[in-house]
Amino acid sequence: MSGRTVPHAHPATTEYEFANPSRLGEQRFGEGLLPEEILTPTLYHGYYVRPRAAPAGEGSRAGASELRLSEGKFQAFLDVSHFTPDEVTVRTVDNLLEVSARHPQRLDRHGFVSREFCRTYVLPADVDPWRVRAALSHDGILNLEAPRGGRHLDTEVNEVYISLLPAPPDPEEEEEAARVEP
Amino acid sequence: MAKIILRHLIETPVRYQEEFEARGLEDCRLDHALYALPGPSIVDLRKARAAQCPAADSAPAELPPQGGKSRFQILLDVVQFLPEDIIIQTFEGWLLVKAQHGTRMDEHGFISRSFTRQYKLPDGVETKDLSAILCHDGILVVELKDPAGTK
Repeated sequence: MSGRTVPHAHPATTEYEFANPSRLGEQRFGEGLLPEEILTPTLYHGYYVRPRAAPAGEGSRAGASELRLSEGKFQAFLDVSHFTPDEVTVRTVDNLLEVSARHPQRLDRHGFVSREFCRTYVLPADVDPWRVRAALSHDGILNLEAPRGGRHLDTEVNEVYISLLPAPPDPEEEEEAARVEP
Repeated sequence: MAKIILRHLIETPVRYQEEFEARGLEDCRLDHALYALPGPSIVDLRKARAAQCPAADSAPAELPPQGGKSRFQILLDVVQFLPEDIIIQTFEGWLLVKAQHGTRMDEHGFISRSFTRQYKLPDGVETKDLSAILCHDGILVVELKDPAGTK
């Protein structure tokens, strides 16, 4: 767990932030279902419409992520309600904000289950990773926030000068010169 | 008889292939229950078949005890995982379903997930008695094989 989860990622640009939806729902995984919870499947243009299962109150928003974009701060909400506070870790590695959580085998209404996930946010370029703060609410929503520098990053363009290298000396001529010298 | 493979927009679950063969393609095309995934409104195929061909002598005798006893069936929401990410094992009377996917990109960055679920199997149930289906909408069904279907 020392290295980065993602080998390299550029800081999130404004275009990237705005091109993506701010809310990510339907992030549940490995949930047991009861036969009566499943709705009749509906087809839309050949794709099954989700959710098939009726949202079952508690835990139905687990894993949902929300990014709030504003001038002054970077803010992310992540639902970690399946995990207790000591099973969640938040850390930053360079410009990556990693939230990982795992819990051992535990009994729920379907049986024994253990879960693990790791979500990595890419911090925008004007966020200082050292100033990220995390708070966990009583209903299991992790609130991550960091102030933004507010500086607008101009694209830095550096025209690189191409220097011309001299042609390499001819090896035959060099050999002749070496023979002549002694 | 040549095997009838019906290609819809998406591939039809294999469990209904035998139905097409038995009843004929045209007959099945209008039977929407065949394309439905397991759910509350689905008609029990075995019962439907038994009603259609009462000539099958042994089937009605077997159905009532099965109807009274709930069959072992588990349903799991594994929509985030690919079929090859999922492992189903049995171990000393327990059924283990493990799923794991590595880091992948989504709209908010990167995510990796894994989970393990354990279920106690009914007594005497072995791996060969179980069948698993991954539905198109990401619901995994593990159930006891239909004893009537294997005949």
